[in-house]
Amino acid sequence: MILFKDENRLDEALSDLKERHPENLGLVSTDIPLISNLNVWLNIALIRLYHLSESRLQAKRRVVGLLNRFQKREIAGLRISALDHWERYLVKLLRAAMVQDALIVIDRPFRLVPDLPDAELIENSLNRIDDLYFSCRIFDYSWNQDRYRIKDVSES
Amino acid sequence: MVTFIEGIGTRTLKLCRSAFETLFFTWQVILRLFDLKTYNKATQLVIITQLYFTAVQILPLFIYISALMGLFLMGIVLDSIKQLGMAGYLGNILMGFIFTEVCPFMTVLLLALRSGAALNTEVAVMKVSKELDALNVFRIDAFDYIVVPRILSGIISVVLLNGIFTLVLLASGALFSRMIFGLAFDAYIRILVVSADFSDLVILILKCATFGFFITLLPIRYGLTASNELSSIPIAVLNGMNNVFIAIVVIEVLSLILSSI
Repeated sequence: MILFKDENRLDEALSDLKERHPENLGLVSTDIPLISNLNVWLNIALIRLYHLSESRLQAKRRVVGLLNRFQKREIAGLRISALDHWERYLVKLLRAAMVQDALIVIDRPFRLVPDLPDAELIENSLNRIDDLYFSCRIFDYSWNQDRYRIKDVSES
Repeated sequence: MVTFIEGIGTRTLKLCRSAFETLFFTWQVILRLFDLKTYNKATQLVIITQLYFTAVQILPLFIYISALMGLFLMGIVLDSIKQLGMAGYLGNILMGFIFTEVCPFMTVLLLALRSGAALNTEVAVMKVSKELDALNVFRIDAFDYIVVPRILSGIISVVLLNGIFTLVLLASGALFSRMIFGLAFDAYIRILVVSADFSDLVILILKCATFGFFITLLPIRYGLTASNELSSIPIAVLNGMNNVFIAIVVIEVLSLILSSI
């Protein structure tokens, strides 16, 4: 986890990461929206359909299985506008995890899910899909440090 | 006076730049249309979805309008032919005017009004809401994923729907030629087949494909000109649709010149 003193430094670090890891960056951010004219499963499967030309059935089965890890398989066919903040976060996280050898970066989790009291659910969500990514980082402001249990923290 | 001349110059430059950008965009689309790498599973899925939205969803309304148009148009045209004593030219008038000019024009007008406007708004909204940036972050080429499949399905849709429009008008023609001229169905078909020219059919298909290409390309191209503000969406749609109607008229005129050579 990397904590930043202000927004400018955080944005700079994100831009730097985008430049250094264009191939495998799986960014989860409010600035990277879901595609509104696709339903949930297509939003998640799009990366593999596009880059790996995976079959539609295979991709859908995989996505439903992944959603089931969070007991959310019923949202697979929904449009994005029908989801709450937590469900949108999960869809963005799973989409990011579809990148090959993904370096997942969660940009300000409390901006993604504003009603969370602490980061326990975020940490749990990452643990449930730890077989899908190569590495993971959380970017947040230093004043949110108390809301995390993570010990591996660096400050910028 | 100087300001007036400067104004003309600025407008001309703006127009030239816009035309050049549209031509460059068209060239890029043509290149991607013939590049097999464009067609992965994701783009194939978009082509199928867009064909459904553009060509299938519109079918009930389209058939209803073409039947209504067919009844009125064919009734008036065949009655006028009889009154003017031009029964000998029946086949030429139907093939040379109704089926090669009126049918594609009506088809493209209906599709431009419905799908062109929808595409223009869809792309502009995607641009404003940064969805195109999201695709870019995941290395999904918006050109391959958004632009090419929509244009390809536009081309296919116009060609197919023009076929349906023509069939409905043919049926109306058969009905009215029986009522007005007492022509049997086989005689009616024989007159049309004799009057049909292969080159006219080629021009007709090419014209429909060109119509389909431009009534999807221009709305997308102008949808992409939207800025990051919501207020830019109506401007992008307005410019896109203006240019679509200009393109329809230009293609129609060009095809008339071509077929008269």
